[in-house]
Amino acid sequence: MSGRGAFAKNFWLVMIVLSILLVGAMLLGLCMGSSERTVWAALKAVFNPGEGDATLRTIVLQIRLPRVLLAVAVGAALSVGGLVFQALLKNPLAEPYILGISGGSAIGAIVGILMGFSRFPGVCTTAFSGSIATLGLILFMNAGRSILKKESLLLSGVMINAFCSAVIMFLVSLTQDSRLHNIIFWLMGDLSQGNIQQALILMGLLLPCLFIVFFLSNTMNVLLLGEEIAHTAGINIKQVSLTLLIVTSFMVSTTVSYCGLLGFVGLVMPHSLRLILGPDHRILVPACILGGSAFMVLCDVLARTLPEQGEMPAGVITAMIGAPLFIYLLRRSN
Amino acid sequence: MLKQSIYRDAYGHPQSSCLTFAGIWAHHMKFLIVGMVLAFFGFADGLYARTLLDQLGRQVAVGDSPQRVIALAPNITEIVYTLGQQHRLIGVSQFSDYPPEAKLLPKVGSYAHLDLEKIVSLQPDLCIAIKDGNPKEVAMRLAALHVPVYVVNPKDLDTVLNTVLDIGRLLNAEGNAKEVVGMLKSRIKTIDASLSQIKHRPRVFVQIGISPIVSAGSHTFIHELVERAGGINVAKGPVTYPRFSREQVLSMAPDVIVITSMARGALFQEVKDEWMKWQSLPAARENRIFIQDSNLCDRPTPRLVDGLELLARLIHPEIFKDSP
Repeated sequence: MSGRGAFAKNFWLVMIVLSILLVGAMLLGLCMGSSERTVWAALKAVFNPGEGDATLRTIVLQIRLPRVLLAVAVGAALSVGGLVFQALLKNPLAEPYILGISGGSAIGAIVGILMGFSRFPGVCTTAFSGSIATLGLILFMNAGRSILKKESLLLSGVMINAFCSAVIMFLVSLTQDSRLHNIIFWLMGDLSQGNIQQALILMGLLLPCLFIVFFLSNTMNVLLLGEEIAHTAGINIKQVSLTLLIVTSFMVSTTVSYCGLLGFVGLVMPHSLRLILGPDHRILVPACILGGSAFMVLCDVLARTLPEQGEMPAGVITAMIGAPLFIYLLRRSN
Repeated sequence: MLKQSIYRDAYGHPQSSCLTFAGIWAHHMKFLIVGMVLAFFGFADGLYARTLLDQLGRQVAVGDSPQRVIALAPNITEIVYTLGQQHRLIGVSQFSDYPPEAKLLPKVGSYAHLDLEKIVSLQPDLCIAIKDGNPKEVAMRLAALHVPVYVVNPKDLDTVLNTVLDIGRLLNAEGNAKEVVGMLKSRIKTIDASLSQIKHRPRVFVQIGISPIVSAGSHTFIHELVERAGGINVAKGPVTYPRFSREQVLSMAPDVIVITSMARGALFQEVKDEWMKWQSLPAARENRIFIQDSNLCDRPTPRLVDGLELLARLIHPEIFKDSP
């Protein structure tokens, strides 16, 4: 009984701290940009429509807010995606793109860009079809074997990604005009194109997925103890694994098709939070949702405020900050 | 007072505004009254909204004399300066480097990756965009945020001249624009006349990329300039920017090689020396390997005519040997 009480106390403490962090990051995201940078001016513009600066109001509500919401959705989806794959494949190097989703959707996106589609819905749709196609291919290749034979699943994912990156290089080498810019920005991950409808659609699609993963978080704990224990605990391993795999892949595919390949969030956030909070997935899943979102929002803030002339892709920042942060945490925990 | 002008689209076909005169009249009645009062004091500029068709056939509502203009590509900055309308510019895209003073204006991101927030924060009353380069999404979002976006689509020398005229109308500088275009046309005519008697058209290879070797196909300004300057573009074909191996270039046996200024100084000398090793190459034998500023042959601006004149001199020195 005292164990449950300690868990609850721990759980709520983590949730409150991370929620405050996320709200802070979002406020910062609304207040920082390439133009006006004072917090009060931004707040006044939003809450005092009569008095505040109308241009700043447009900027905060129609340019910054969609980006912040998009970053929240993307950060949550990628962090939880990484967490699930690491647990499912029992491999610390697993990340949301490990099953070839990144390669498939990149090919889809590049084909869409080369065909001259607009970012939304055209390129989003082709990217999503690409990732679903690779996911289907992986499941087909591994069908009939004992489900989720981890090594073969991992290896087929790595091979599909390798094959896809060859196709990507081929397509890129054929392209020379301004579409090359679009392709490169897509490959590096880019949140700048989001508008409010897209952000809300994405959140609507992700919410049920996150809920399912959260619902299965205790089952993931048992899975990590080994198949035999899971079996005796009455868990249908095959069904649970397949559900998690498909839900997570759907989540990651949707995210990637909106924002391109934002690297590193899915690898760094679950590990960092695990190092800090311990291995309990009942805490880790919501922590990844909140922490991953906050991290992504902060990275996006840096991406659009650091450079003086125009912004850089958010994916560059996630990797530049994520890697050193992770190494620091790893050293400290040793 | 209200102009219902007929504007030409990118291909020179006249297109009239869809709104009727009466419609505009009714719609602007109150502005007219205010306007007449203000006109009396001499600051009526910018009050009358016109609806123009841009070069994609979109309707764009613009003030008579826009005062806060953002150029979303370097060539547009250049055209605005050529028309002497730089006092209207409040922002330009990155790499707007000509004339040099344009570099001092606030930057709104590169033409391929525009900073939407920066643009909106400058409160423009007009953005001029280019179809091949600026992402469609950004133009659409700006329009949704009530920023007028006028899109130009220069494809060849003729449409560049039309673009100058269109931007002139847009910025209330029609007279300047006509004068500039008239001068450009007469310079082009002079070149055409000088070259009308040529019997031999040298084979020209324009190298715009060094490693790999890249040239320009038929749908480029470079192709148009080379052919108009009395040469044959050996790289012509459907591929916009085709790649070549050294072997292919040797077998095409160009009489002239023009290397654009992506290779500057020492690098140009290196590239030239590499070609000079192949004495079977007519251009190397005759020592006709030159460097030219790439902005003069691939940026859709009036400076293309400078590029045309320079190319004509390089390709047909025998005709221009007397002129300076």
